[in-house]
Amino acid sequence: MSSRAKGRRAFRFILPALLCMLFVHVIPIFWGAYIAFIDLDIYTITRWMQAPFVGLRNFFTVFSPATDVGVRYLRSIWNVVYFGLVTIPAGYFIGLLVALLLNRKFFGRTLVRGLILLPYITPDSVAYNVWRFIFQARIGIVNKYLLALGLIEEPIIWLVGDRAIYAVMIASVWKGWPFACLVLLAGLQSIPQELYEAARIDGASSFGLFRFVTFPMLRPVSATLLLLSAIWNFHAFNQFYILLGADPGKAHVPSTFILQEAFTNFHFGQGAAMSVFLTVVVLLMTVAILQVRKRGEEW
Amino acid sequence: MKLTFRVLLGRILFGLAVFLVLAGVLIPYLWMVSGSFKTTLEIQSADVLKPELSPRWFPRKFTWENYLRVNRTVRMLDYFRNSIIISVGTMVFSVGISLFAAYALSRFTFSWKRMYTLAVLSTQMFPGISFLIPYFMMFVLIKHYLGLPMQNTYWGMIFTYTSFALPFSILMLRNFLDSIPREIDEQAQIDGCTPSGALFRVILPLAKPGIAAVGIYSFIMAWNEVLFATVLTGRETKTVALGLLEYITAQQARWAGMMAACILVSIPVLVLFSLMQRYIIEGLVAGATKG
Repeated sequence: MSSRAKGRRAFRFILPALLCMLFVHVIPIFWGAYIAFIDLDIYTITRWMQAPFVGLRNFFTVFSPATDVGVRYLRSIWNVVYFGLVTIPAGYFIGLLVALLLNRKFFGRTLVRGLILLPYITPDSVAYNVWRFIFQARIGIVNKYLLALGLIEEPIIWLVGDRAIYAVMIASVWKGWPFACLVLLAGLQSIPQELYEAARIDGASSFGLFRFVTFPMLRPVSATLLLLSAIWNFHAFNQFYILLGADPGKAHVPSTFILQEAFTNFHFGQGAAMSVFLTVVVLLMTVAILQVRKRGEEW
Repeated sequence: MKLTFRVLLGRILFGLAVFLVLAGVLIPYLWMVSGSFKTTLEIQSADVLKPELSPRWFPRKFTWENYLRVNRTVRMLDYFRNSIIISVGTMVFSVGISLFAAYALSRFTFSWKRMYTLAVLSTQMFPGISFLIPYFMMFVLIKHYLGLPMQNTYWGMIFTYTSFALPFSILMLRNFLDSIPREIDEQAQIDGCTPSGALFRVILPLAKPGIAAVGIYSFIMAWNEVLFATVLTGRETKTVALGLLEYITAQQARWAGMMAACILVSIPVLVLFSLMQRYIIEGLVAGATKG
């Protein structure tokens, strides 16, 4: 079979998947880039060809510290970065510690491994609604125990204002660490036992075993995990939307803010401009992760 | 081994550590279950400042009311029906479409294979908000120019979620098909099967676990999605993930009802996941480590 015929045969098999990708991912990405340059609102949406072309104005508006939208968008970007800087390392370290713990053989290990997966597989809508209940000021258990321990005098308002983002971080780490743990456990199990034996014969302590065998062997998997988490961090939406509501105020992240600007205030053009920036950031990070992977394994 | 003090201490510390991890994981679930059996009155009158009213782990008055009357304040049963239709639809289409694509990726050689795999991988990286606005516009324009309603319809949601589930489904199924020896379908083709004949008669029965895992993954994905559902669903198609939010309004907070609904919403996901746990986890881990 010629290579063109092979290509055509594969094309027939992949066509339905290609069409889905075209309509849901490819066309909207480019169209979104176009919308970012026009002044589109609720009145012009069905006559979008006539919406005035405004060049880079939408971008200037959303990045300008002088406009209200700009201030809030810049803050939302800072929030998501801050959020990632806290939750990704926290999730990674908890995941690593528990993975090291569960890599030993003990009675009931399978059960424990199954149970720690619960947060990861529980639907976001369920998990974050439960956390919303837990963080309630007067009826929640967080304040109950903080008061009982004497750490606070008055019930704290967790889900509004400056503390809101920390409440979201706690709930997100709780939900996210099992995935890191799962990946790291798989990494731990792929380390050949001979390496440990050899190191032990050379007189390594148990810290030495971790420092010179476990840690270096986990490096590739950790690098991919952390880079992927950094990219997926920009997807953060569910936890903010569910815990804090449709308007998280100071604790907006780009996803919640764009949703609000586009679908509550009908600033589609500005919303698209903000989305385009996110897309570019994610694209650059994806290129970075592919570079890292290329060094690792060929797929 | 002799049970020295050191070994014993080590075991106790180890047990304590495992216990702490489990406690951290399970406390929110216990609170959810306990809340679902309380009366609305008990939750609303709770007050952390007053010891006699402080929220408790065991309901003062145990009640099944929240489960029995789950449909009373929020139309939860309608949302369940919507979610089931959308999730099952997504599952069927995602399995069908990804099976063909995965088979081509696993068995055929063609020049744009690597490029396509890369494209599939990268679609998983973009946040949903990157395409939500133009995608919504596309729905509006299809309605405007073609008269075909897309927003607030089952097929609109099924199409959307199928496309979301495809990248992961294709890659996971390809990995699964790669593990089935090529000789098997080569033999089938020697015996006179076409490639699609080989796929249906020979590979399909062997790939059942992979197909089930992909189907369950797609179902769960559609069941859980929030962002697109907030914009694209309406009264007739609202899914359970959004329905849960209706328990809390500006006037009333019905936490007890919400906790009962949370448990009902989780059950299908937990059951399906545990059925295919091994394959889905292998796929997820491979997705994060191998691509």
